[in-house]
Amino acid sequence: MSDQFIKSRPVYQSLAVDSSGLRHLLVSDSPAFSFAALPGQEAEIWFVAAPDQEGRTRPPEAGGGRCFRSPRHLIDRLDHRLARERMGLRLYASGTEDFLWDVFNTAQRAGMNKQEIFQCHSGTKARRVACVHCRTFNHAVTTTIVRCEGCGANLFVRDHFSRRLSAFMGVKVDAEVAGDVPPAEQAYS
Amino acid sequence: MGIHFKTDETFRDDFSYRNSDAAVLRFPFPFGEDTYRYSVNIEPHVKAGPSPAFEHAFDVDEHYVAECRERAIVLDHDPKRCQVLPHMMPAQWDTLELLMESLSTDYPEHFSLTRDGTAWHWINRPLNLDQRFVFGDASTLPCEPFEYITRQAQGDFTLQDQRDNNLYVDGGMVTTQADWSLEFDIGMSFHEWHGPVPLAHEIGVFDRALQYLLRLQYGHPVRRLNWTMTINPRLDTSPENYPDWGPDRTTLTAENIAGKLHLRVELQTLFRLPRSNAILFGIRCYLISLQDIERVKKWHKRLHRVLATLPPELVEYKGLIRFYDLLVSRLAAMDDGTPLSLGIQPDQTQLPA
Repeated sequence: MSDQFIKSRPVYQSLAVDSSGLRHLLVSDSPAFSFAALPGQEAEIWFVAAPDQEGRTRPPEAGGGRCFRSPRHLIDRLDHRLARERMGLRLYASGTEDFLWDVFNTAQRAGMNKQEIFQCHSGTKARRVACVHCRTFNHAVTTTIVRCEGCGANLFVRDHFSRRLSAFMGVKVDAEVAGDVPPAEQAYS
Repeated sequence: MGIHFKTDETFRDDFSYRNSDAAVLRFPFPFGEDTYRYSVNIEPHVKAGPSPAFEHAFDVDEHYVAECRERAIVLDHDPKRCQVLPHMMPAQWDTLELLMESLSTDYPEHFSLTRDGTAWHWINRPLNLDQRFVFGDASTLPCEPFEYITRQAQGDFTLQDQRDNNLYVDGGMVTTQADWSLEFDIGMSFHEWHGPVPLAHEIGVFDRALQYLLRLQYGHPVRRLNWTMTINPRLDTSPENYPDWGPDRTTLTAENIAGKLHLRVELQTLFRLPRSNAILFGIRCYLISLQDIERVKKWHKRLHRVLATLPPELVEYKGLIRFYDLLVSRLAAMDDGTPLSLGIQPDQTQLPA
């Protein structure tokens, strides 16, 4: 089934500068992002280094934006930054779906509203899957069925997405007849 | 007068829940015609209708005490079945006021509310509670006001915040649900939380329902019936606990289906709340065994006709696949095809033994 039919999944746009903003911050979960600031409007850029950097960052003076070791590293810093922001900031997020909603939820907790946040989906379509039974998050799931790291149940990945949890719902696939687990198919890569 | 409560019933383990004959005859049977299709079947929630279950704002019946105890058990295992987002505190007080006012007005022999400004005194006799508190001051109650009062009511409740021309499910008490998760869905917009329902989106049911509900007026609540089927009289058929109740679906046989299979009906009510402008959504669950349905001739035949013509997508969505053929063939044997009266009323006042 095409993702277009998932009612709870947002439709993402490409990013463009919102000229009603006074300051612009782009956050990306990879060094590969596409964002064009308007002439005369500086955009600040934060991005996550490629995994082959293995924890190395580079100083902001090097230009091209501020570099972080991981998405968690970036969001931690973003939380601190937004607590000190004033009205007029526009926040742009580029990356995988779970990253986009982690950023969104961080911004919303800091008091930003959804008209001030823009999201562009890029990179893998792998899903974060929340086990509805034990509440464990299973990361980077690319198959229709995944064994939960928390409770061990074989979860069917339902096309039902929670923005608050940044995750799809996983439901035990053989709850009715134990062991009746269909083969997992590669579905979201 | 007053309701005789069946205080020792259970909805788990030995499943001792049973309906009295009176409870069978007042059951809100959901099928007024011989076929069932999705529709926005919403009508004004006036204190009248073809079942006595419609005669009060919030129906209280013989299962009240046992259902409140079952709710407490579920909450003890999983406190997140009751959650309300922080901006919904005015809606919490609205809910407490609506439930206390309604219950004490509709059932004065069981509940009483005395108000002196913000000093309120609430008495719940069936649960043996006597609570004085300050309306608007949550610290004067044993827990937050929404949880406090919905622990004393039958059925689930959700709170919908209205903003951006949409409704968001920003709170709820959800312990008797038909397979949906508050923890997963809280905060979702109207179309998001209905996402998994098949067929209905495509025919515009949710668009129309949302437009209707955005215009819901204070003092003019509305209602509809929804239904599914459950094995054993189990109230907590949550997705959280599906590994525990899912195996029940494979246990039906020709010998035990009449006692084990239950029609599960939700009397859904929607109230606009006065201070918060939120909507309180009540989802009151009624369970009736197949053998009790079969004691009402009209319901027996009608259930057969509805199920025999149910679209396959709904057979799957409602989880009936494993026992559908067994059920329909059993019902068919007693359906002589005679025309049935329109509407859900039982058309009899006594039940065979």
